[in-house]
Amino acid sequence: MLSFYPSQIIEYLYCPRYTYFEYVLRIPQQEDKFYKVQRGREIHNKKLEQNKAYLRKKIGVKNKCLDQYLGIEGLRGKVDEVLELNDGNFAPLDYKFAHWKDKVYETYKQQLFCYAVLIEKNFKSKVNKGFLVYIRSQHKLIEVEVSKKDKQKIQDSMKAMTDIISKNKFPRATSYKKRCLNCTYRNICIK
Amino acid sequence: MIIWVLYDIKNDGARNFVSKACLKSGLYRVQYSCFLGTMNANEKDTLELQIEKVINEDTDKVYIFRMNKEQLKECSMLGQAFDDKLVTDEIKSLFF
Repeated sequence: MLSFYPSQIIEYLYCPRYTYFEYVLRIPQQEDKFYKVQRGREIHNKKLEQNKAYLRKKIGVKNKCLDQYLGIEGLRGKVDEVLELNDGNFAPLDYKFAHWKDKVYETYKQQLFCYAVLIEKNFKSKVNKGFLVYIRSQHKLIEVEVSKKDKQKIQDSMKAMTDIISKNKFPRATSYKKRCLNCTYRNICIK
Repeated sequence: MIIWVLYDIKNDGARNFVSKACLKSGLYRVQYSCFLGTMNANEKDTLELQIEKVINEDTDKVYIFRMNKEQLKECSMLGQAFDDKLVTDEIKSLFF
């Protein structure tokens, strides 16, 4: 079975044609050119070295595992931090090189949902919330609810993506036309 | 949005870096240490981060101003000033 990264699922949810262009036609996106992506990676590496033993007591963290590469059938990814909470549940925590703009973007949520699915299977425990840390807003910590429906949606997306790739299916584009404006594939995509 | 970048940077390397970063992000050089052009919010943020990383906060000065088209039209431009249509991307290409 094919195995996806959370970023691939996020791309699929943004527009299903991403999956087609990138993984069926194999036209790469040139992500490395974005300066902010590079800076984010630099900071991420620094984070791994600093404050290794620090536990976020405020949100009831008992234990944590850093930089966990987890995988299940059809999904794999690296979680910045897996937190073990006081109530026995687990939660993913992800660092974002971004400003807090009074709302959690859908892509960030989807990423946490993917991690939640991964943690549930690998750590054999329940995950019903996740955390985001906004590095450029004084490390603001935001809690995100993870419901059963959200986790199911990830599973459904995985299925749909496998369909596109294995059957060479050309999917319908997203109905949000605004997303086409700065899409990397806008020049080759049929409207 | 229209962005002005003005700077006074002591270190030659840092100054060169900033001028190249401005040109690369699509701004026009209107004077030696003054750039002007159209950018979106993400491009502006990227440029700010790039500049922030190389300058010396104790000695250098960088100003990044935001302006809209109407405000630019109200500016007085004397002498050998730039073409305001060029910096607002109204002219798509130049033929010599």
